[in-house]
Amino acid sequence: MPNPYIPVLTTVKSIASENKVNDIKTLELEFKNEKDYKSFDYIPGQFAEISLIGKGECPIGIASSPTEEGSIKFTIKKMGEVTSGFHNCEIGDVVGVRGPMGNGWPIEDMKGKNIVVVGGGFAFSTLRSLIIYILDEKHRKDYKDITVIYGNRDSGEVLYRDVLEEWKKRNDIKVVLTIDREEEGWNEKVGFVAPVVKEVAPLSENAIAVVCGPPIMIKTTIAVLEELNFKDEQILNSLEMRMKCGIGKCGRCNIGSKYVCTDGPVFSLAELKKMPNEY
Amino acid sequence: MIQKILMKNEIGKFYIELAEDYNIFAPVNEKGSIVFKKILNSEDIVLDYFNSKVPPKEILFPKTEVLFNYTIDGKDIKIEDRDDLNEKNIIFGIRPCDAHGFMLLENFFGFGAVKDEIFLKKRKNTLLIGIGCNVPKSTCFCTSVEGHPFKKDDLDIFLVDLGEKFLLETINNNGESLVKKLTWLTDPKKGDIQQAKELSKKAEESFETKLDLSKIDKILDPNFNHPIWEEISEICIGCGTCSYLCPTCSCFDVIDETDQYNNRGRRIRIWDTCQSCLYTQHTSGHNPRGSCIERCRNRIMHKFSYYPENYNTLGCVGCGRCVQLCPVNNDLRTIINKINEIENKKEEKVVA
Repeated sequence: MPNPYIPVLTTVKSIASENKVNDIKTLELEFKNEKDYKSFDYIPGQFAEISLIGKGECPIGIASSPTEEGSIKFTIKKMGEVTSGFHNCEIGDVVGVRGPMGNGWPIEDMKGKNIVVVGGGFAFSTLRSLIIYILDEKHRKDYKDITVIYGNRDSGEVLYRDVLEEWKKRNDIKVVLTIDREEEGWNEKVGFVAPVVKEVAPLSENAIAVVCGPPIMIKTTIAVLEELNFKDEQILNSLEMRMKCGIGKCGRCNIGSKYVCTDGPVFSLAELKKMPNEY
Repeated sequence: MIQKILMKNEIGKFYIELAEDYNIFAPVNEKGSIVFKKILNSEDIVLDYFNSKVPPKEILFPKTEVLFNYTIDGKDIKIEDRDDLNEKNIIFGIRPCDAHGFMLLENFFGFGAVKDEIFLKKRKNTLLIGIGCNVPKSTCFCTSVEGHPFKKDDLDIFLVDLGEKFLLETINNNGESLVKKLTWLTDPKKGDIQQAKELSKKAEESFETKLDLSKIDKILDPNFNHPIWEEISEICIGCGTCSYLCPTCSCFDVIDETDQYNNRGRRIRIWDTCQSCLYTQHTSGHNPRGSCIERCRNRIMHKFSYYPENYNTLGCVGCGRCVQLCPVNNDLRTIINKINEIENKKEEKVVA
């Protein structure tokens, strides 16, 4: 077995600024070797350790869907040294990638179900992956109704506008956007995510709800979903943790006896309730 | 099993014969502390010692370790893997508790879909020659954690200190093929084997500490939010000594070290500790274990609840380093007794 800490090398193919304040960018990476791309066999909801050689490494959710062939995408918020390094990247720069890591969304178990996707802020990246995957013509028939509720602080923070516009044009997906406060020119919903979920009231029968966002949004949304009769097994979360290795060895992402990097990052609410409240 | 006698004044011969093929690590005295070091001169080997301050885990899992090297030439980046993992090592003089620590580390690094090949390769190329503890320290408690001062299972060759000489015993095929090369070793007398047995019994009886760990995982599991954690962490200063010096702790941080011209460097791992606030702190500032209470709890839960859950064995080898070297004397033995008390107190209530 090879050294698990050595990344494969990719180059930056495209860079897209995702928000008005320009602190969130999506990097599209192309593998240097076709063989490395072929062995990077991922599903929506997984993440990778991506690095700038000489600066450092960090775990980032994969924003692209495996159905978008030829490259992979990561949406990165500028926070520390490594993520700032990614923001300074130019096309052609070399990025190291280790992965895919983690369990990902249970796309097999979700088959035949109505899918409710609730996202807040920039935690939308692996949800983008999931929705694009489900909407792909090869997979759309495997899933029933899709409802997406996506909230942001203001209109400038809404990610992936191009794909959101595409989704809105389709009749096999319901997309509800909301922002916290009213703004001129905003024709969608206004208000926090949880009350909007209550208003949209997706049916719990034969449904799976996927919830990603800041802790307070998750907490309030789960309360609403419970009111709508969603059971703990029907609610999925993806957790974030500080990580170094991504393979269950560096120690820090444990919640009880589980490691978020290898046992997660996706957990059902039923699983989370059995774990210590340390996340 | 082969039994032989190794005279203490033949350690030099023993060293010279094996040093050709192996890096030999053994206890030496460095500035008043016992440490395991690569031996360049057999006279440096110390045979009269309790145990090393830093466990010999650092031989296979060093404080800082290169994961790979890299060179940067503009957009041309090259990564070089390590090529030194196939060197053969002998760790001479390791104590049974620390050898058991290696077994637990091997469990951990070899667990899951992706394994830590760096550690596992080195471990595979390392022979352990251990010496039984005739005189355990007052802080030792291996017999409480399924261990024993003369436990042989985790070793390749086991030695018993008989004064002027060692009784040598091979534990597995690796140990046996090594000993077969040392044709000059003499055979033991009946009295030597008898003496070793007596020393083992005497050592076992000399333990001052006997902890009840039979139910600890069952007690810990439902008491995650018990007020006892506040009491246990009250005096802790979060220095991390307990985990750095633990033979089974293996957490690490990863950073890139690049030279000043930004054209050459290495990605390294460095020992880290769950007792540090930054260990779990997210970039956003959110910290899942933001207080000392949570961090102290994690250390205890990891060794005595999470580890048994994942591997069906305790994550502590009873070496007593954390007891001996904690700067505020937050004694693990007292902590374990306090945890056992939770259950006793409950039973008292039921009776009342």
